[in-house]
Amino acid sequence: MINAPHSSLLCNIAEHAISTPDKTAIVEGNNRISYSRLAGSIQRVAGYMCALGINRGDRVLLVAQKEVEFIYLYFASHLLGAVNVVVDASSPRERLDYIASVTKPVVAFGNDVDIDGCRCLPFRGVEASDRVGDNPLAPTVNAADVADVMFTTGTTGAPKGVCLTHANVAASASNTNGFIGTVATDVEALALPLSHSFGLGRMRCVLMAGATLVLVGNFANLKSFFNVLDSERVTGFGMVPAVWQYIKRLSGRRIARFASQLRYIEIGSAALPIEDKHLLMELFPNTRLCMHYGLTEASRALFVEFHAYEGNLDAIGRPASSLVEVCILDDNGQAVADGVDGEICVRGNMVARSYFLPRDNENSYFGDWFRTGDWGHRDPNGVFYLTGRKKELINVGGEKVSPAAIENAIISLGVADCACIAVPDPGGVLGEVPKAFLLRSDDAPTIEEIKAGLSGLIPPHEIPAQWEWTDCIPRTSSGKIQRLKLKQ
Amino acid sequence: MERQVKEIIARVLNVDIGVITDTLSSGDIPQWDSVGNLAIISTIEQELSVEFPLEDLFDLTSVRSIIDEVNKILHD
Repeated sequence: MINAPHSSLLCNIAEHAISTPDKTAIVEGNNRISYSRLAGSIQRVAGYMCALGINRGDRVLLVAQKEVEFIYLYFASHLLGAVNVVVDASSPRERLDYIASVTKPVVAFGNDVDIDGCRCLPFRGVEASDRVGDNPLAPTVNAADVADVMFTTGTTGAPKGVCLTHANVAASASNTNGFIGTVATDVEALALPLSHSFGLGRMRCVLMAGATLVLVGNFANLKSFFNVLDSERVTGFGMVPAVWQYIKRLSGRRIARFASQLRYIEIGSAALPIEDKHLLMELFPNTRLCMHYGLTEASRALFVEFHAYEGNLDAIGRPASSLVEVCILDDNGQAVADGVDGEICVRGNMVARSYFLPRDNENSYFGDWFRTGDWGHRDPNGVFYLTGRKKELINVGGEKVSPAAIENAIISLGVADCACIAVPDPGGVLGEVPKAFLLRSDDAPTIEEIKAGLSGLIPPHEIPAQWEWTDCIPRTSSGKIQRLKLKQ
Repeated sequence: MERQVKEIIARVLNVDIGVITDTLSSGDIPQWDSVGNLAIISTIEQELSVEFPLEDLFDLTSVRSIIDEVNKILHD
């Protein structure tokens, strides 16, 4: 029997193992794991980790794979009070080495993982241990202890390790389930990577609710993804906007045939064009289409449900629960009036209190308010809107310009993709001016045609002063534009 | 042509050509994700001067199905 008062997540899994022991918790191919087996395997793997000498506070590097052994290790580590450092299997060598050098893990688990100076073990075999005690939890672990360190994707500067406590990860799952409405009868297909905050969060939400999680490799093979929706009678899934574009391009409107069975779709990690929100609403008239705004540091801070926000789909929503607060502060940490742009700041039960390296905490908080680095405002009804990334805003002669607004206008004129950055004004007058990178394609309009089209869409000072065609707009795996790369 | 298609897929996914068997399907290896799949489609279209019909993209899920589709387009 799992005994882990520090982790609501583990307590929930233990409760499901007692109340619905035979219910399927995880489906991995032909393998169906019940809640009873899940709880038993977590304990067994915790015993194995104990035997390896892993103690409370030790860092355990998990090179995430969509395998059930990863899930056992993830929770076994929580049970012991060890700290998971979750990384992507496809991380470049330098990133992996940097993370290992900073966190100094005592052991790394993964397939074909090789990290200098660190004991590396495969996932397979972790369940073979027979060292299952009544409770392998030896030390006292607190809810405020760090459970996971997640490294940001690094759109700017070196990756930062975000320290999330046991209370944080459970609160995020609880807030999200509260908004979306995931319940024990749901069956969720997880095709998102488990190495990222979004996918890992979905896994926690489903298991906290006592629902069924179906592990799917990724979205590449849509035929196979649709077969899973069909055969497992899936009721929900999560996706990033780039995946939605992929689904649209490769399958047209085929996904609509699942509309009656899908109770919810969670969307997040990057912006989604309004026309796509309308299309989703048309295809899924009775599905909760929930889009979150959040960061690894403040997971799922705000939510919108498209059908409920039909009149203002450009909003990023309201706080995810009554335990989450969001406000707009100026550069001095003072609240600004409704309608005035400032920095979006968040505090609440799921907000990380620190980074792994103390130096990264500098300028990251106003007291207990986490500074997102995003720029936006709140309307009188308490609804929040995102204007742009504060650090990415282009300061044209004192006018703050959101690159996203220019990009959306350019894309609306028939350009397949584009990204805008700030460059010094060659005239030396305005300080910064926008520069646009346009994705080359055969049917793209000319730059002269784009300029002419933009003149009716955005103010003159927002029209890019410089233009460049490119074969690739660099983006992170979650779809965010990597503007720093364009500046190099 | 069959060899050319396999070489393109191996190059785009940055894997050894030996991995690219007829039965290999999108999603079977981590490199063949949705981004890799789009890159395969566009590179084959560019380098072999073919254009996959939109309605057929959904069914291009394996190396064999891609080869067969290219064959069909080239011989139509």
